[in-house]
Amino acid sequence: MSENHRVHTNRKYDFVLIAIVVVGLASVVGLSRIIDARRPAADPSLEEEKLYVTANTARRVSLGFNGLIADWYWMRSLQYVGHKVLSLPADVPLDDLGSLNLKLLAPLLDTATTLDPAFMEPYEYAAVVLPAVDVDAAIRLTKKGIAANPASWKLHYHLGYIYWQRNEYLAAAEAFSAGAKLPGAPAWMKAMQAKMTADGGSRTTAREIYRRMFEESADKNVKEMAALRLLQLDSLDQQDQIRTVLASYKNLRHECPKSWSAIAPLLHSRFSLNSQGAPLDPSGSPYQLVKDGCDVELDPKSQIPQK
Amino acid sequence: MAIARNTFLEAVRDRVLYNLVIFVLLLIAGAIFLGELSGGQERKIIIDLGLSTMLLFGVFISIFVGVGLVYKEIERRTVYAIFSKPISRGEFLIGKYLGLCLTLLVNVVIMGVGVSLALLFVHRGWEPLIVTIWPAILLIYFELMMITGVALLFSSFSSPALSALLTFMVFIIGHFSADLKNLASSMDSVVARGLFILLYYLLPNLSNYSYITPAAHGQLPGAANVLLAMLYAAVYIAVTIAVATLVIGRRNFK
Repeated sequence: MSENHRVHTNRKYDFVLIAIVVVGLASVVGLSRIIDARRPAADPSLEEEKLYVTANTARRVSLGFNGLIADWYWMRSLQYVGHKVLSLPADVPLDDLGSLNLKLLAPLLDTATTLDPAFMEPYEYAAVVLPAVDVDAAIRLTKKGIAANPASWKLHYHLGYIYWQRNEYLAAAEAFSAGAKLPGAPAWMKAMQAKMTADGGSRTTAREIYRRMFEESADKNVKEMAALRLLQLDSLDQQDQIRTVLASYKNLRHECPKSWSAIAPLLHSRFSLNSQGAPLDPSGSPYQLVKDGCDVELDPKSQIPQK
Repeated sequence: MAIARNTFLEAVRDRVLYNLVIFVLLLIAGAIFLGELSGGQERKIIIDLGLSTMLLFGVFISIFVGVGLVYKEIERRTVYAIFSKPISRGEFLIGKYLGLCLTLLVNVVIMGVGVSLALLFVHRGWEPLIVTIWPAILLIYFELMMITGVALLFSSFSSPALSALLTFMVFIIGHFSADLKNLASSMDSVVARGLFILLYYLLPNLSNYSYITPAAHGQLPGAANVLLAMLYAAVYIAVTIAVATLVIGRRNFK
């Protein structure tokens, strides 16, 4: 009898404890929600506060875990850019984020590469994203990468790309030339040097730059950006062809076409047209006639970057 | 050998190897989620995370089990029974030390296999990094053996809490060895310079064993470097156990 009573008491005791756990956890969830709802919005200035720990200090105190901490800074850089990109109304190419005030990006990437100087992805990210934010920081970081990894031709390619974006074609040619001399560098690095020297500002050179970036990059976002820029270059070529058609139409009729259907027969052989006869850009959106039908431009909803 | 085997079995009974479960969970979570967050750098991050966790867990085991190796035997008074047998104090310490090293070896090997499997999973096939991480794992193991030696030394004359604290400080300072040397060279005072140089040589230089970051890039340490690091560890361990034996030898267990 007393044994039964003891078992019964133990069960009651267990039941009370389980009830406390269940009710307690439910209360924690409820209370957390109330606290979260009452918490004031995060101060954006705190988000942009300078990094407390300098890159060299972080390396010193990393106790041999520098690779792991570099990974953390790298992921923080991606999150930092990602959060800001999400606040934009439309998709913006990775190399055109200047409006986002990414002032922490350079120190974050600098810390990641100081902690792990052989970590190549932050250098590539710096070469692609940073020029629109802080071009000097981009050059500094890439040169730091070259000093730490003297055998890497890709870093010279990144440096050349930054200079090319700044229209500094001779400096770009020098960077490609230095990279081309390194063992394992592809033959096109030498060709790129020649292109820069002869015709740095041309669309052909731009196409070559982005084509190589698309082929060589392991980063999905960089690849997407390069692919978009290639589509944009194709679109620029198409717009030139459409303008030629518009000009010949105007020469013949002394007026610009009122709608696409008026020049659809002239475009048909060279473009895919939609049901209204409008030519489609490389992303599949119809071009728009502007300036009373005398000029052409991209549909604002097109995936092709406007600039 | 009997003492070593018993120490290993005791560690298993104390559920020391449970940390492997946490490690495996961490790796699985890392392998699944980090790919999304790291911009395609999941292989590097799995190696960094896996080997760093291996080192960190190993250091905790070395410290918290190591400082109790001798103390527990004294507190339970089993040390009196052991020393009544024809076992010298040196043999007792070496047995204890080897037992914990065996526990650490099991830990490190299973964790290494775990990292390799995570790499296979992420790469969806054979990945050369699976081979190139093992020299770094070997160096981590030697670092852990040194830390265990230091923990054993401190525990021979101090309480477990203080021994754990001191050993952890040696682990931290051991990774700042290069700074000690630089500090010494920048000192004007001869005494201060001498003190820092003394500390530099006295404390273990654990930066010799930090090869996690290059391993994540597929780089291999030079064979000569690995051999020298192993030799340095062997000498350092011999010194710490010798000092611990000297200290224990002066204690009265009769």
